[in-house]
Amino acid sequence: MRVVESIMATLIVISAVTFLYFFASTPSSQAHDTSELEKMGHNILHDIDEQGLLARYVYRSEWGNLTSALSVSLPINVYFSLSVYDMNNNNLNYPYSIQYGDQQVFSSSTGVASVTYILPGYQANYNPRILVLKLVNG
Amino acid sequence: MRLAKERNGQFIIIAAMLLSIMIISISTVIYGTVTYYRQERWEEYVTIVDSVKTASSNLLQIGLANYTQTLNPNVTRGYFNRWIRDVRNAYPGYGVDVDYALTSGLRSAYGLIPPMNYSLGLARRWNQQTSYSASNTTVSINIASVGLTGYNFSSHVFLKMSIRDAVWYTGSGKWYVLMYLTVEKEGLEPIISLQTSSFSNVTLNGVPQTFTMRRYYHPTYSSFIYEIRVSSITSLPPNASAGVTLLDNRGIKTVSYTTNVQQQ
Repeated sequence: MRVVESIMATLIVISAVTFLYFFASTPSSQAHDTSELEKMGHNILHDIDEQGLLARYVYRSEWGNLTSALSVSLPINVYFSLSVYDMNNNNLNYPYSIQYGDQQVFSSSTGVASVTYILPGYQANYNPRILVLKLVNG
Repeated sequence: MRLAKERNGQFIIIAAMLLSIMIISISTVIYGTVTYYRQERWEEYVTIVDSVKTASSNLLQIGLANYTQTLNPNVTRGYFNRWIRDVRNAYPGYGVDVDYALTSGLRSAYGLIPPMNYSLGLARRWNQQTSYSASNTTVSINIASVGLTGYNFSSHVFLKMSIRDAVWYTGSGKWYVLMYLTVEKEGLEPIISLQTSSFSNVTLNGVPQTFTMRRYYHPTYSSFIYEIRVSSITSLPPNASAGVTLLDNRGIKTVSYTTNVQQQ
């Protein structure tokens, strides 16, 4: 029986794994998180647009579908709020609130990522819409 | 014997140390790979460039849809002129400046003969067995706030419909006409999401007909086929003609026509 050797070997491997756990911890900062959220928000809007759904939801005022599409696409711990404006800065989704998460989270958060996305029109009609997506970590 | 056992036991420790070294080495490499781009600063202008680029391509699509429905050749130019102004307003303070050059002249693409003849960024060839609508432009983006100038890209939109075959037959005292259509977009990618309502007009000898449509993969054509079936017609004269008008999900229209409706 090599009990002592086995214990020593186990300790060596556990030491290596413990060292890695502390060494490989992901760097974290508020600016870093906001930057990640901006990337994520832009990519998700772009993906929904590529599928031809974003313009349909916006120009047909399908706010419920737009909320669902964003909710499904974003991680569950990321809260969002989206506003749709025309070129005269009128909020077109008012009073409907396209958001996920408690409003209190946005108020108390110290870092909010904001993404501006523009749609030129729908089908054969030129009629730009500006989408402003705000994201926070829940 | 006892000494030999004790010596062999050291191999377990050596193996564990080697394993630990391997774990640490591999993990270090993986960690470096995963976190490399996390250290790169995300510049907001990348988002703006990508957003303007996508929107400009969509604008071309909207312009082509409008042109094919209204036949106004100045529509794309008008849209881009308004777009230049609106983009500046959408991103105030960034100094975003968009310019464009609409394609003109003959351009060979997708094996089409004769080549597409563009005027003001638009081209169409309708009422042929293979018909198409196309739009092409080069867009330039400058963002003064970050010193980005001369970011150029070319964008095009395309819709092609071919009547691969049109045949007629009789049965149970009725006449039937079958048309086999292929529909493709940019990159000759088949469009497979069309509905019956997408085919806004089907004519025989210029007379609108009621019809049914189904889609399936046809091995003879090695392609997805839209089969248009017109039934209950009373008769069909020799040298009959057939026409199909398509309005795809993007709102782009094209019209195909054939004088070659043959008996099956």
